Amino acid sequence: MAELSIGGYTFREVEPRRYVVSVDPGRLRELAELIVREESYLSTISAVDLPKENAIELNYVFWSTKHRVALIVKTRVSRERPVVPTIVDIVPGALGGELEAYDLLGIVFEGNTRLRRGFLVPEDLVSKGIYPLRKDAGV
Amino acid sequence: MRVCRVAVVEIPIGPQHPALHEPIMLRVRAEGEEVVEVAVNTGYNHRGIEKLMERNSWVRGMYLAGRVCGICNAVHTQVYVQGVEKLMGVEPPPRANYIRTIVMELERIHSHMLISAVMAEIVGFDTLFMLIMRDRERVMYLKELVTGNRVHADIHILGGVKRDIDEVRRDRILSELRVIEERLKYYRKVFEEDYTLLKRLAEVGRIRKSEALSHCLVGPTLRGSGVKSDVRFDDPYAAYSEIPFDVVVRDEGDSWARMVVRLEEALVSVGIVRYALEHLPQGPAVPKAFPRAAKVGEVVSRVEAPRGELIYHIVSTGGGNPYRVKIRTPSFLNIINTEFTYLGHRLADVPVIFSSYDPCISCTERVLVVDEKKGVRRYVSLRELARWGTT
Amino acid sequence: MGVSVIRYSPWIMHFNAGACNGCDIEVLAALTPFFDPERLGVRLAPNPRHADIILVTGALNKKAAERLRRLYEQTPSPKYVIACGACAISGGVFTDSYPVISRADRVVPVDVYVPGCPPRPEAILYGIKKLLDRVARGG
Repeated sequence: MAELSIGGYTFREVEPRRYVVSVDPGRLRELAELIVREESYLSTISAVDLPKENAIELNYVFWSTKHRVALIVKTRVSRERPVVPTIVDIVPGALGGELEAYDLLGIVFEGNTRLRRGFLVPEDLVSKGIYPLRKDAGV
Repeated sequence: MRVCRVAVVEIPIGPQHPALHEPIMLRVRAEGEEVVEVAVNTGYNHRGIEKLMERNSWVRGMYLAGRVCGICNAVHTQVYVQGVEKLMGVEPPPRANYIRTIVMELERIHSHMLISAVMAEIVGFDTLFMLIMRDRERVMYLKELVTGNRVHADIHILGGVKRDIDEVRRDRILSELRVIEERLKYYRKVFEEDYTLLKRLAEVGRIRKSEALSHCLVGPTLRGSGVKSDVRFDDPYAAYSEIPFDVVVRDEGDSWARMVVRLEEALVSVGIVRYALEHLPQGPAVPKAFPRAAKVGEVVSRVEAPRGELIYHIVSTGGGNPYRVKIRTPSFLNIINTEFTYLGHRLADVPVIFSSYDPCISCTERVLVVDEKKGVRRYVSLRELARWGTT
Repeated sequence: MGVSVIRYSPWIMHFNAGACNGCDIEVLAALTPFFDPERLGVRLAPNPRHADIILVTGALNKKAAERLRRLYEQTPSPKYVIACGACAISGGVFTDSYPVISRADRVVPVDVYVPGCPPRPEAILYGIKKLLDRVARGG
């Protein structure tokens, strides 16, 4: 399988034109800055709840218009304290993805001042403090 | 009493709007006529589809995916089906891939015609709106001819398509395409040359190339700002790797460029449909059976919807249901991340810029105008607002 | 006089309460020249205060349902409601999802149901015609 190296991070090709790297949440901002230099935009932030492993996996999917590949950055946070640094100041387009992940799965993006509940979720669930896309939400 | 000189305009596009899948309220703050701040407000059309997907089987998810958006339903089904096919290890036959491509391109033509019509209506060119809507019915007729449905195509099935195209249908589509192409060329000429449209669209809502990338805009919005990025070309799926076509790019970056990119693209789509019909591979297209369970794994599936890159992240832990399906639609990026493009423009330009991102149809929405100086609160329609500067 | 006064020129207000747009583009198609609704006197009303008929599409998102209730109150009597499409009738594929109410008649009284996913423009016009016939009979 092919590999792609960006600023010391090695992305591994998992299927055609999809390159993956796993990092600690603390490395996200550094990596985002490196990826943005490759003429990339952030496609989506996909969060997957994994209650068995007591973790939430975050997938930052970038598309690099220079390399014409998807660069996927995986990171994990614990379910009790799901906090990652925001990348909105580096990639302004991350705003929608961060608001959505906060509202649906309760991931706190530290430094993003616009986070609020009720971005998508109806009022009755917000008042009960339910994050609907968590596996134990019961909705 | 504190005198406040800003008027607050509230555009509840979510509720009163034949809305997008991401209906949004634009809260516009204006100083006199000049827009100084725009904030988006969402949640009017959230239907919990990602959660529903987890509860339903792989096959039912296909119908749910199509119902994320009625305008671009075939691409939603395609992106879901191609991801699930990868997880299940099935490969659709070439003929099925061609038929899927034909349906998706017909959809692109009607979607681009729809937004061109809506844009014409927004700027007050009602005749053009009616004309494009009339000709759009020809495309809807073709869609019905191929799939059996006018709107929700539902032609995909895991490992193929549900209906084949026979000779009679093929010839009918080819002859109808000639008329559609003529009309599209005419509309492109109107958008390029008409004085009214140029006056309202050119130089309005300009996005530079670097801004388009850093704000993660996709589709005709990105290509209208000079970035050559098209999933069909960069990351081919279905039959696009075998069909020659051009990626339309314009450098102007304004509302006008985005509209012209769409009309050019519709013409390119006519070419793709024609090529696909003339080079339709022989062999089966309709599978006799399809698998019900997927292997463990995850897949990031992308397609080019009429509004831009559409991406699904599908996670499977085996068995009959998806574990997680993350859906990110193009309008989600194009609407939320374009707050900055309204700044400095006049109030009457807001609907024009908003429509140029192809949010969807706008005909019944209203705008709440609060003029705090005069203490007046009133509702006006988006259409009315668009005419403020002109009357 | 009475209710029959609207039967010559009923103005319709289209309200999307969390629909997928499928019904909405068909409503738009039904209201443009190819299907020519103006022969029935039907026009799109720009504002609930001008409307006689409210045409509801979609699975009734909770936030949007509040709006619908308000719009219904703002519409002058006599007023009628058409529920258009499978979602407005029963919730369609979105039944039992957490953000939706699933049925238009749980929010406002509905006079005519137009089935289909989405209904064809002809079916929408037929639904309107049915309602007008009923109004003409004094019901």
